[in-house]
Amino acid sequence: MPHIQLSEGLPGIRGLFAFRPETAKPLCELAEVLLHTPGTLSLAERELIATYVSSENDCYYCQTAHGAIAACHLEGNEKLVLNVKRDFEHAAVSEKLKSLLAIAGKVQRGGKNVQAGDVERARRQGATDQEIHDTVLIAAAFCMYNRYVDGLATWAPPDPASYRERAAKVARDGYQGIPADVQAAQAGRT
Amino acid sequence: MKPIFLPEVENNPQPSPTTDLIRAAQSAGTEYPQIWHLFAYRAQATGNLGAFTQEMMRGECPLSPGIRELIAAFTSYGNDCPF
Repeated sequence: MPHIQLSEGLPGIRGLFAFRPETAKPLCELAEVLLHTPGTLSLAERELIATYVSSENDCYYCQTAHGAIAACHLEGNEKLVLNVKRDFEHAAVSEKLKSLLAIAGKVQRGGKNVQAGDVERARRQGATDQEIHDTVLIAAAFCMYNRYVDGLATWAPPDPASYRERAAKVARDGYQGIPADVQAAQAGRT
Repeated sequence: MKPIFLPEVENNPQPSPTTDLIRAAQSAGTEYPQIWHLFAYRAQATGNLGAFTQEMMRGECPLSPGIRELIAAFTSYGNDCPF
């Protein structure tokens, strides 16, 4: 049960977005820039970084929601998402993504864990400064989202299959704009 | 000041208020917090972080801004982040 009174039926961060629209807007727009803006890192790679960090933070809602979105960008390959969470160094992803996931994992354990050697490894695999920058910012932002979601003990549907439908919509349309059900709950509060 | 890990980030500030702050500090020869380089590099993303921080720290809320800054300072201390 959530620690504070939230709208029923909105899981995870969506219940929090309904609770506090003023902070929901910049948090959604940040997610849009980090995860759904075209760049040299693919949308699948960005979602895998977010999923991996959320998994390391043991945040069920975020890792399941973003894992499902990552799978949508990977033609439904949920097995690959699982392998990245379990042991990315041996998953079927590029050496460059492995080096970026290693940096993301260190950010998750604490920013100061990232050493010059980690950055060197990523550069050797062809990562640009912008890609390394975005990896660190995605990892840091998801530590915030994960702590926000779990720090208020939000509810999350237990069945991973129930995340697929919404994931397909987010994979297609992105994070911009507050979803209609969250807007309705926001209106109900005022 | 030591350079940050990513020279491209440090050397490619986008037009933004933070970039003006960096230029002013550099021309005055004073030290400045290097988080400014991060804010200046990817203004599209960090503008949202700024809007979020503004709302969290100064938006309407029964907690006074002083108490909110104290919570932020306490958490940053716990995370061993002096800035």
